[in-house]
Amino acid sequence: MSDLLQAKNLHKSFGVLQAVREASLRIAPGEIVAIMGRSGSGKTTLLHMLAGLERPTAGKILYLGEDVGRLNEDSLALWRRANIGLVFQAFHLIPTLSAKENVAFPLYPMRMSIVERSVRAGAHLDQVGLSDRAQHRPSRLSGGEQQRVAIARALVNNPPLIFADEPTGNLDSDTGDEILELFKKLRNETGAAFLIITHDDKVAAAADRVLIMIDGILQNEAGQDNE
Amino acid sequence: MSLHYLFAELRNHPMRAFTGILSIAIGVALFVSLQAYADGYRQAARAPLVEVGADLTAQRQGTVPGKFEGVVFPHSTAPIRRDEINQIRQLPGVQAVAEVMFFWSFEPDRFVAGLGLDPSDTFGPSRLMAGVTAGRFLQAGDHGVAVADSTYAQQNKLTLGSIVLLGGQSFTIVGLADTSRAGQLANANLYIPLDDARVLANTALQVRSVFDIRPDDANLLFIKTDQTRVDQVATQIKQILGNKAIVSSGQSFAAELGSLFALIDRFGVLVGLIAFLFAAALLLRVVASSVWERRREVAVMRAVGWRQRDVMIQLWGETLVLAIAGGLVGLALAALTTWAMSRSLVTVPVPWELSPSPHFLPGGATAFAVTVVLPAHLTLNLVMWALGLSAAGASLIGLWLPRWIAKIHPPEVLSNE
Repeated sequence: MSDLLQAKNLHKSFGVLQAVREASLRIAPGEIVAIMGRSGSGKTTLLHMLAGLERPTAGKILYLGEDVGRLNEDSLALWRRANIGLVFQAFHLIPTLSAKENVAFPLYPMRMSIVERSVRAGAHLDQVGLSDRAQHRPSRLSGGEQQRVAIARALVNNPPLIFADEPTGNLDSDTGDEILELFKKLRNETGAAFLIITHDDKVAAAADRVLIMIDGILQNEAGQDNE
Repeated sequence: MSLHYLFAELRNHPMRAFTGILSIAIGVALFVSLQAYADGYRQAARAPLVEVGADLTAQRQGTVPGKFEGVVFPHSTAPIRRDEINQIRQLPGVQAVAEVMFFWSFEPDRFVAGLGLDPSDTFGPSRLMAGVTAGRFLQAGDHGVAVADSTYAQQNKLTLGSIVLLGGQSFTIVGLADTSRAGQLANANLYIPLDDARVLANTALQVRSVFDIRPDDANLLFIKTDQTRVDQVATQIKQILGNKAIVSSGQSFAAELGSLFALIDRFGVLVGLIAFLFAAALLLRVVASSVWERRREVAVMRAVGWRQRDVMIQLWGETLVLAIAGGLVGLALAALTTWAMSRSLVTVPVPWELSPSPHFLPGGATAFAVTVVLPAHLTLNLVMWALGLSAAGASLIGLWLPRWIAKIHPPEVLSNE
């Protein structure tokens, strides 16, 4: 199977600090990959680079063989909108919008009828089991529900690749398990690939592949440099 | 741009929206009210001229005769020559000229202010035609007839058919007119045909003693001009009539209105613009605080695929809606203020030169004034200016600040590590 995403020798420095060093990885369609590592090891920086939010100091990111690094900021945004779903530890929902409107949020700048937008958002909210909470604002949802809304938002454009940064980090154990089950279900239903940054062993256990980040260097479970 | 998101933001931050709308509203209301006030006064100043359908009057300061006997010219008037009248008619922007012969007649038993006019003129004192209350108005070809001011007729027991003497010539009253309905400028007690007035002037000793009077002279002109060239024409008439020219226009009447109007007329636009700038500064503060509070939200927008321009348009839209709402509220306030202003009366002092009676007689020129309701109102032009300025200001603010925030680096705001 050809790679959905391939990172080659990614390097990121912030001044003298080398956050990520020579990181390479491949993600295949439908695959769940977990990246573990201690705080400050460079996991999130790597995820930001892979999502096009941060430009690498060196190295290449290929999406279906295309070099993402050659895109300008607006083209990167459009690429993200079409191909990437992002889930954050802190959910980052818009407080003034309802759950359904939050799910539809990535669709707002797109030329799309209100009805179509509503139908799509409603369908994805249903997919995460929250159709009965559609009109509730984030402040009236539990942490687990907010994360489900964030996941539905990540899925609303049917992207082939979902990046999740500590998606269970702000949730209790049971709710975290539910989110994990949801990821598996969504992978089976949509065929999307997941790259999950996590500290949680249970999340790692559910992944097809686990990579370890130590001091900016990405290794596989066997402790070898990845690739 | 998502209107739904836009209104959700405004609805959920009522104080922010209220402050933004109020600041623009105050700026717009001040700007519009000041302009409406100044425009109203400018129009009020033109009222004496508008009443007679003219834009300018022209005369030339004369010489006081040795005696006030028989027919004399008011000393604010001297003959205006035919060639000068023709030059004025030829000026670019001049649409029509009504010639008048204005005179005082000191009869043994009374004083008469007389006016010779051409009844075929459609403006100037000929508008008195609309004020006829009995009999008829003067007609082309009339000689030896007069129309009397009804108040003057009543005081002097004149009726239709009565004979009055002017400069030794008799005139039969053929009509009575309410002169207050036909303008205050160059009001007279008796109105006679222009040709008769010219004959009176040419045969009057006291006129001939100070002027080289000619049969086709006039001594007061009412002039209609292209509205865009009134001031230019006034200047050119002064050049034709020389340094004793007295040209009255809306502007010269406005000069009589006092220092408050002069201040507002001169600085109204400036003060209005300062009010706008103040409002824009408040709006800038509101938008800046909104944008700063929403850094995380903007970072999320960018992360989920909004382009910089999508973010900018969204935030610009919010600012524009605030400005338009503020503009409409401001216009409503201005309409209220303007309505209140339009309830007030303005007294426009008329220069002594245009007084119908000698200032040395009781109730003469010193008390002469026209009182009108202040014609303050909102014009479409003013409304468009106010909305345009607020929209332009909001657009500048709404593009400048969001332009900066749209370049936000999402990882700096969203990062957990």
